Amino acid sequence: MRVPHPDHFTSRLRSPAVAARVGVWLGISFGTCFLTGLVSHWAQLPSPAIGFPTSPAWGYRFTQGLHVVTGCAAVPLLLVKLWTVYPRLFERVDPRAGRRLVAVGLERVSIAVLVAASVFQLATGLANAAQWYPWREFSFRTTHYALAWVAIGALLVHVAVKLEVIRAALGADVDDTTDDRESAVEPGPVSRRALLRTTWAAAGVAVLATAGGTVPWLRRVSVLAVRTGEGPGGVPINKSAAAAGVTATAADPGWALEVVVGGDVRSRLGLTDLRALPQHTVDLPIACVEGWSAQGRWSGVRISDVLTAAGATGGRDVLVTSLQQSGAFRRTVLPGAFADDDRTLLALDLAGEPLSLDHGHPCRLVAPNRPGVLQTKWLASLEVDA
Amino acid sequence: MSAVRWVLGCLGVLVGAYGAWLALTRQDLVQLAEVALWLAAAVAVHDVLVAGTVVGATLVGRRALPRPWHAPATLGLVVWGSVSVMAVPVLGRFGARTDNPTLLDRPYLATWLALTLLTLAAIGVAGLVRSRRTEA
Repeated sequence: MRVPHPDHFTSRLRSPAVAARVGVWLGISFGTCFLTGLVSHWAQLPSPAIGFPTSPAWGYRFTQGLHVVTGCAAVPLLLVKLWTVYPRLFERVDPRAGRRLVAVGLERVSIAVLVAASVFQLATGLANAAQWYPWREFSFRTTHYALAWVAIGALLVHVAVKLEVIRAALGADVDDTTDDRESAVEPGPVSRRALLRTTWAAAGVAVLATAGGTVPWLRRVSVLAVRTGEGPGGVPINKSAAAAGVTATAADPGWALEVVVGGDVRSRLGLTDLRALPQHTVDLPIACVEGWSAQGRWSGVRISDVLTAAGATGGRDVLVTSLQQSGAFRRTVLPGAFADDDRTLLALDLAGEPLSLDHGHPCRLVAPNRPGVLQTKWLASLEVDA
Repeated sequence: MSAVRWVLGCLGVLVGAYGAWLALTRQDLVQLAEVALWLAAAVAVHDVLVAGTVVGATLVGRRALPRPWHAPATLGLVVWGSVSVMAVPVLGRFGARTDNPTLLDRPYLATWLALTLLTLAAIGVAGLVRSRRTEA
């Protein structure tokens, strides 16, 4: 098989005019994914320098839903973008070109980094959202976060290198051929406008097919969403009691929540004790890092009531421990601002029914504007410094 | 090179270097080796498999289909192909678990087949209409 040469690709569609226009939207998608990703990372930091806000309650639901939906829209955009510039992969440079060779070499390296990181981010993101973990060693969270910076860095370098071409392409008519490769002269089966419109349509289909995971009125349209949004109490389940290995401990009638202040166990509250305390009801979303979310009506005891009764001072971070014996989120920190918030409950009921085992029976944490992984289920203890 | 480009370029190098530093310092060698393998595979899967398939499909389509069918087939391929690639994780249901019926609880394969048939039908109708118009 012959190695292709750029001159083998003769379609006029593979042009900077198309690449720049798709590139703008791809850049906007990547920028949105990056910023919402930073928000998600911030929300998951155990003790951030600047506290994550408790309001609006739907904030994380919005940013993380946007993160995943935008990532889905980026798939068609990236594929078309790469298609338009594919011939450039086969460009050859005279090895005796000296300084130019170095410049071209560096640009090639930046493109390789950009393509590798972009495909990696979209592939691992899509897999993770579908709870598919085909990697064995690396941590998704660490790698997806680090490579997001790499992808955005390489994207900025790419824009810097191409700025003149981008400006010229966007400033001229879409059918302008000034910056085209000399061999790109064949009209192609469709016009550039038609290809662009179809690309936007494909991104639109990708959005509609998945956004129902977080936008309730799109549920029926989003035929490729990872979830229908159904589940006990109208809320899907991310990790079941069986998967967490808590089926026996969570169903134990002798279960009691330990409240530890300054190292002393101040109280042990069983389900009856918790039900005897003043009950409150809040409407709060479960917003998963995987992008899906659902609103629930939760009832239970205010965490601040329980902590105050145990003699804890307000505003302190709370170490929340689950009955789970393993897992990265077995122990999580609930920042003081969340613990003090009246909407933060030790929930016992969902939609007027006692929590199902998979939703965290006997008692789970629900707080406003928190990633789902930090809404700890199957609570075992709360610990606060004196 | 203008000042804007220099600023953008330097900022890009800094941001990218920070990412590389994060990746290199927060994981051990075994993990890094797997990340490197995945990055290389990402390029290979696109540049060889995906791009190669599209080039092949274009060559075959151009010869096998009459001229008026080229435009609808191209546009159909863009939408159907990219949405199919995006749907790989749900189509394979690789993450499905018997203990969690709320996960991957849609008929993805049937949906994808319907999308495929719909695309083929749209290409067919548009192709026929355009063929008639060319004859007329």
